[in-house]
Amino acid sequence: MKDQVGGNHKRARFQALCQSLRPDLLRFAFWLSRDRALAEDVVQETMLRAWKAQDSLLDEAAAKPWFLTIIRREYARTFERKRFATVDVDELVAREEPMLAAGDEQNLAELRAALFKLPDEYREPLVLQVLMGFSTAEIARELGLSGAAVLTRLFRARKQLRALCGEDTSLDPQE
Amino acid sequence: MIDCTHYRRAMLAQPHDADPELGEHRASCHDCNLFTERLLRFESSFERALRVALPNPSPASDRVVPLPAKSSRAALRLQRLGRGWLAMAASVLVVVAVAGALWLSVSGPSLAADVVTHMAGEPQAWRRTDVPVPAPALLDVLRDSHLRLAAGAGLVSYASSCRFRGHRVPHLVVQTDSGPVTVMVLVHEQAPKSVQFDEQGYRGVIVPVPGHGSLAVLTQGAAEMETIEQIAHRVLDSIVWTG
Repeated sequence: MKDQVGGNHKRARFQALCQSLRPDLLRFAFWLSRDRALAEDVVQETMLRAWKAQDSLLDEAAAKPWFLTIIRREYARTFERKRFATVDVDELVAREEPMLAAGDEQNLAELRAALFKLPDEYREPLVLQVLMGFSTAEIARELGLSGAAVLTRLFRARKQLRALCGEDTSLDPQE
Repeated sequence: MIDCTHYRRAMLAQPHDADPELGEHRASCHDCNLFTERLLRFESSFERALRVALPNPSPASDRVVPLPAKSSRAALRLQRLGRGWLAMAASVLVVVAVAGALWLSVSGPSLAADVVTHMAGEPQAWRRTDVPVPAPALLDVLRDSHLRLAAGAGLVSYASSCRFRGHRVPHLVVQTDSGPVTVMVLVHEQAPKSVQFDEQGYRGVIVPVPGHGSLAVLTQGAAEMETIEQIAHRVLDSIVWTG
């Protein structure tokens, strides 16, 4: 009886944790994969893997990076399994138009489409920093890069993104 | 001493970098100040762009935790007792409850989340100061929302007409004993009830304003919710609607 209560409590806590993190994890997976359906699959699989491995999560405060690492691994596995053909970014943008739309805020939709066009190596650290709130050191740890390399990628990512969006970049520094 | 190239490279990598050396350079360089304003405006939009609205999940695909074995046994026992309908009804209730909870959690960025994201794009507003914004500038910002502020609101140190969810809204900073407090008058955003939030280092409330949308009030620190609520109502009491 005691075990069952403990199990139910554990399950409820885990369910609550998943629910609180799920929106950001789904968004992260979407920007990582640029594919809504794939993002949902990856996050679903991630939750199941996380449930099975929950004993390795020692501190709930560290849950976000823990889930994120599983998502990145799961995405890489999916990528290996499916061996995607080279993608046409314009096709991706057209396919994901409902997700990229932003009501009457045309500039947001354009920004989202521009983000699709950033190379993975720039898009991922940028999303980790801005959406997930990761510090440079956390991004470096997650991506296996040095802090300096992360800062360079973030610098290039914003520079390219702003140019893609037609921002005034006359004051931007050169490489 | 850092130069403009160093400053701008650093800001493009980390727009919210609070390094005092960067702050000093910015304060002394007109072009870098202009560059930063443009960059932070862009960053604010970018933060919102990342928060895509999520589709409603299907209940079946969102059962993230396997059901416990005990529940299955309990259902079987119920069936044996000829009360299978009860188990079925319970299952339907669980599915509806889970679907409802998940829908609430992923139905797109909330008003509070959007307010917080907007704040992150205007860090320069959070200065503790006793210098009020010039009265004509404040009137200009408030005019489009058909309101003015009576003296009881406190010292307004920052006033800007900001684009928020497709509308121009007044973004004010009021100096209080608890430090600078940001107020956004959201005449286009209806709030059915008062909502408290604590996100990304910002604590605040969104209070409904019958007939005039809602009011968002937030602080960048550890002020008590009760204090924030009091400030919100003080500001609300000092608003004079002109249209």
